Amino acid sequence: MSEGALEGVTVLELSEGVSGPFCGKLLAAYGAEVIKVEPPGGDPARRHGPFPDDIPHSERSALFLYLNTGKLGVTLDIGKATGARLLERLVLQADVLVENLPAGRLESLGLGYRELAAMNSRLLMTSVSPFGRRGPYADRRSTNLTSFAAGGQMYLTGDPGREPLQNGGYQADYQAGLNAFSATVTGLIGVAASDAGQHIDVSAMECQAAILEAFLPDYAYRRSEALTKRRGNFSSAVIGLYPCEDGYLGIHAMPRQFAALARTMGLEWMLEDERFRYNRSRLRHDDELAAHFYAWCAGQRREEAYARAGELRAPLAYVHTLADLTTSPQLQARDYFQRIDYPEARAAGKSASAGGRLTYPGPLFRLSEAPARAGRAPLLGEHNEEIFGGRLDLGRGDLVRLRANGVI
Amino acid sequence: MSYRLPLAGVRILDLTMAWAGPYATRLLADMGAEAIKIEAADNWDLARSLHFLGHETERWYNKSAFFNHLNRNKLACALDLSQARGRELFLGLVEKSDVLIENLRPGALEGLGLTYETMCAARPDIILVSMPGHGKGGPESDYITCGTHVEQLSGLTSLTGYAGGEPRKSGISYGDPVAGIAAAGAVAAALLYRRRTGRGQHVEVAQRETMTNLIGEFVVGYSMNGRQPPRLGNRHRSMAPHGAYPCAGEDRWVALAVGSDDEFAGLCRAIGWPDLASDPRFADVVSRYRHQDEIDAIISEWSRNRTPEEAGQALQQEGVAASPVLSIPQLMDDPHLRARDFFESVSHAEAGVWDMDGVAWRCSGTPAHVRLPAPCFAEHNRYVFGELLGLSTAEIESLEEDGVIGSAPLLTLHD
Repeated sequence: MSEGALEGVTVLELSEGVSGPFCGKLLAAYGAEVIKVEPPGGDPARRHGPFPDDIPHSERSALFLYLNTGKLGVTLDIGKATGARLLERLVLQADVLVENLPAGRLESLGLGYRELAAMNSRLLMTSVSPFGRRGPYADRRSTNLTSFAAGGQMYLTGDPGREPLQNGGYQADYQAGLNAFSATVTGLIGVAASDAGQHIDVSAMECQAAILEAFLPDYAYRRSEALTKRRGNFSSAVIGLYPCEDGYLGIHAMPRQFAALARTMGLEWMLEDERFRYNRSRLRHDDELAAHFYAWCAGQRREEAYARAGELRAPLAYVHTLADLTTSPQLQARDYFQRIDYPEARAAGKSASAGGRLTYPGPLFRLSEAPARAGRAPLLGEHNEEIFGGRLDLGRGDLVRLRANGVI
Repeated sequence: MSYRLPLAGVRILDLTMAWAGPYATRLLADMGAEAIKIEAADNWDLARSLHFLGHETERWYNKSAFFNHLNRNKLACALDLSQARGRELFLGLVEKSDVLIENLRPGALEGLGLTYETMCAARPDIILVSMPGHGKGGPESDYITCGTHVEQLSGLTSLTGYAGGEPRKSGISYGDPVAGIAAAGAVAAALLYRRRTGRGQHVEVAQRETMTNLIGEFVVGYSMNGRQPPRLGNRHRSMAPHGAYPCAGEDRWVALAVGSDDEFAGLCRAIGWPDLASDPRFADVVSRYRHQDEIDAIISEWSRNRTPEEAGQALQQEGVAASPVLSIPQLMDDPHLRARDFFESVSHAEAGVWDMDGVAWRCSGTPAHVRLPAPCFAEHNRYVFGELLGLSTAEIESLEEDGVIGSAPLLTLHD
């Protein structure tokens, strides 16, 4: 096996839910050794579905299985003095600590950045949280939905005249976790160069506010509210989602691509028509343009329209369902999906019985020299002996005592 | 500044345009890399044209806020890669760089004879990052992907929408920044790898594949059960109530999420109706889930007479996760973001002075800021061709006359 890009990096992940675990998962995929520290009751993500046959089971949560691939797993109650001591010993051996615990939790246990840095000056600690670790909202409670509301993306999503809309899944948390990953890897370059660690504070609110397309920049610059409202599925006729015979077609055309789009739809006459010939004139006749697009799309089948647009290099795609994803000729040709064997899934009955393997998205990006790794998520406490015994030199009797006292 | 930013000393050649690529290089430039944007007179960044200022504005291509937010901390030059002499100069720059990042259509660079191998010949440990929509190879690799297509192809759009309704697109072209953030991480990972092994590599960020990583649990869930989950609007599979509720004022909303019994009791106290927590319709998780239409109506009745800030504060005080749904003007005035100094004032020679969103990765030891405003078109030709490549002023001028080095953009390019 070729060496991972992050070979030799040891990460402690003190995280639950989505944001911190996503960061840890990506670090593991690119070669870091990630030790996930769960409370003895497990990461709450284990209680969230989907589950095979809809039967909840802490080792069969799709959310947990996905977000924790490639990690080692230990249990530890850091709220107990003994647990906190063991964590400190793990920190001494770690390069990175990724945490997304509730505000103030680590500080209240004497495990804040200041204390940990005093023990390990090269420690890179990444905190990922809804609002960041300082400022007036730092202590606010938040879930993915309320983080999405605070970041400005929700207000822009959904229909005018209706309530703002969250997008599918846990997008505020995922964005924060993705930023935390890239910030952490960048931070490691700094540690290598300067020999000094630091604390990286990633706020989901700021991560979102930084990517409000042209909308925030335009308001910031012109103080005009022209681009600050949500617009449903249509930013304009050339940026919209249109129903077709068996699904939805997405059009997203930059001015230079309009000709190819018109050709795909058999609307070549528009290229000679004063109303549609130039971008500025098209904007003045937007409703008319949309009506033509609607009419064409309504008679199309999604895969055929997509293939025709592809041939003519027109900016059109279709909304892929999960079934479309798993049968996509493109993703299959690229060998995108990973099949990961999972012992507990194998035991989980009929629908997951295809060899006990589940399908996972492939790598976030592909490195030619250091391909991403896939490995299953750890069972609860699976690596307690390996880590506490092997790394911290505790004997079997010590582990029994820790277990009896509810520390692990 | 008495500290070195993490990427100080790293030089990045940036052939990317629009949003995804420039967001990647913005993150890297924020962290201290020297990013040199390469445009051409007849091939310049589309984001310069998205300025909303009217075409009568003088030199509007230097005044697009979208461009100027995405390209701060970078330098820019203009070079025609379709000419042999332009490619020669380009390879000279590759020799002096650590990273080259591009989001041209697949095969475009190779078509100019600028393959990964050619670049390696100029700089053996170069890190080449490509950001295609579909990735290299496969039947769709040449298909155009633009903006919102990435989330449509990723599966996300099929999961977003009001309950019982059609799919909805995100308010932003979400796939772009997601690919950009991932690409920044990819560059950092490749730099670490090079540091350890001395070897460069070719990195591919296939945007639709990247985006599917952000809905992974649905992919795994589909392989368990073979079902497409219904669109839920703002609801959640297990929490209730969970949604956005109307407040006083035009188009103002508060979002809240309740999971546990304790949180629901907190919500009931916040709305001044503590007894509601023991109402048999709402007394447990299952009952609340079944009766969420009724709870939603009760909450809306309460929230309608309050601002989102008042409602949010009342809920937070009782331990309920809640936040106003912030609009852009509210975000820019937000006391928390202001207290964290998230917005930074920027002064640009042609565009003027305004507040810009700052650096989202807050590093305690090496805090990063907007050091440079975004470059005007071809602003740094002298630095790039003179200082880095050692050309004389006369040589640069003669190359400008020949159109190899660009000085002004072809204005009609993006009409």
